[in-house]
Amino acid sequence: MAEMDNANPTVLAASDLPTRKPLQKRAKASQLGIFASIPRVSPVRDPFTVTPGQLYESDTSDSEEDFELDAEGDNGVEEIDSQEIYDLIAPISDPEHPLSLGELAVVNLPHIYITPGNPISTVLVEITPTITHCSLATVIGLGVRVRLEQALPPRYRVDVRIREGTHSTGDQVNKQLADKERVAAACENESLMSLLRKMLEGCK
Amino acid sequence: MPTLHRLTSLPPLPDRIWQATVHPTLPILALACADKAVHLFSLTTFAPLSTIDGGHKRSVRSVAFKPSTPSAPEIVLATGSFDATAGIWRHDNVNAENSWDGPVKAEGEDDEEEEEDWRFAVVLEGHENEIKGVAWNAGGDKIATCSRDKSVWVWEEMEEDNFETVAVLQEHSADVKAVCWHPEEDLLASASYDDTVRLYREDFDDWTCISILSGHTSTVWSIDFEKPHPSTLHDHSHSGPCTHTHESTTSRLVSASDDTTLRVWHRTSLPATKASRGLTPSIIRGQVLEEEWETQSVLPQVHTRAVYGVSWSGRSGRIASCGGDGKVVVYEEREVEGDVQESTDKPAEAAAEGAEETKEDEKKKVPAKKTEWVVIAELEGAHGVHEINSVTWSRRWDKDGKEGDEILLSAGDDGVVNVYTIE
Repeated sequence: MAEMDNANPTVLAASDLPTRKPLQKRAKASQLGIFASIPRVSPVRDPFTVTPGQLYESDTSDSEEDFELDAEGDNGVEEIDSQEIYDLIAPISDPEHPLSLGELAVVNLPHIYITPGNPISTVLVEITPTITHCSLATVIGLGVRVRLEQALPPRYRVDVRIREGTHSTGDQVNKQLADKERVAAACENESLMSLLRKMLEGCK
Repeated sequence: MPTLHRLTSLPPLPDRIWQATVHPTLPILALACADKAVHLFSLTTFAPLSTIDGGHKRSVRSVAFKPSTPSAPEIVLATGSFDATAGIWRHDNVNAENSWDGPVKAEGEDDEEEEEDWRFAVVLEGHENEIKGVAWNAGGDKIATCSRDKSVWVWEEMEEDNFETVAVLQEHSADVKAVCWHPEEDLLASASYDDTVRLYREDFDDWTCISILSGHTSTVWSIDFEKPHPSTLHDHSHSGPCTHTHESTTSRLVSASDDTTLRVWHRTSLPATKASRGLTPSIIRGQVLEEEWETQSVLPQVHTRAVYGVSWSGRSGRIASCGGDGKVVVYEEREVEGDVQESTDKPAEAAAEGAEETKEDEKKKVPAKKTEWVVIAELEGAHGVHEINSVTWSRRWDKDGKEGDEILLSAGDDGVVNVYTIE
């Protein structure tokens, strides 16, 4: 990392990042789309959250006050919305900038897709590397996948993909990120894990 | 329609189970676990037998039993780990089957003593990084290992505990996910992240790739050969659901892929057939050994996410699969009514390529009854919301089973093994 892939990335101001509060802003935020109406629940309330081999203790501080214990959905399964997914991954820091993936617009609220199902729901996160030849796209994607797999209950299947047309080797990165065995092996690689731990430090 | 009936579940392990493997002739189940250990269970009582730990620094990804033969009755286990090594473990007790009934634990005996049953014998080093698969050949004298380093290694046991590398096969262009030996021949298959399955044979002390099976559109996770059908070996009364007879010239393999499909491949030409075609012989490569394998059928599509495990039963001829969608599916081959014809039917794209084949070749194709695969049982959420990594068939050993009964086992991310009967 002696030389940065992208020394001058576009940075979003913290106040411009999507958030649940203030409420009037949220009402305007059309990107919440159909998921805005889906009942929410903090993932940390789920007893399955804590899985073996967890990187760090799951922290309850990201369950903000307004993450009330909502009513259950029609199918009796509590659904998580895309804002909650965003809140879980936006604070991940970029491996080469002292900035978060949210600030760098690597993760964006409209590029989070949830397919609710019973019992298995799917979360798809499309990430946008800051430049098309970003060599760290795989590490960033791995950070997003690991963060979500640790924070979400096991009934969620997490797919992380490079947003189409935003990376020169997007297909290769996607295949690697979709490979559970490669991800599992990466999580046993100490040097990679110390990098990931650093990236996930801001996720509290 | 038959259903998958859950007979029992084994006590959960502390972490994800990658693979469940059954001893070919004894009631022992070995589980390769992400907790860096192998856990052994009895298939007569479903009780834990022992844990082999301390040998690997990372997850145990794969485990294989050496086939016990009358001349070599010892019980030996091979493990492949993400720590890039494979281990050989010997069991000191070569006693009769009844020693596998479960925890025969004397008062005051602690776990440590129990584990001393398994003795670490050899470490196989050579792979650059994670070993993904390990498999013992039918003769018990060779082991194959495969790794993310894109290579497949063949090790031969020259004398007890002395393993020699006899081949380093670097045919795949990516991570090799699984290796599997033919149940009778020294024919080795490997499955890869490069979407292909490759087959290898030994040719005058040199192992060469003799066939490439292309068709899947994503990673091939698991492969299994068809076993010699008991009914065709010992009994020609054609009992059982499928009366498909298998000449020694035919052979089939099933593959499971991230593309959510399973394919059955069959050998359409033997080495001899190929040589008779008058292809320019190559001195460098064992051209004579080359075989043609084609997709015979794509199994009915049931899975909605990656298919991680597949097992072809030697008892019933059924195929079972499992995957990321949490489903366990059982398929059976059925004869298509009154339709007996040459097995020249192939997928459309293959038919076009094969158009240049001479009539002479056609004659050498093995006549086979026309069959189709149907789903006979399906279980959704077999491990709750968890993904299922491995399925394997076994003879039924517990006291409630009858001679000839079989069970199916599935192992998942939840650390659980479920045991099913099909009723």
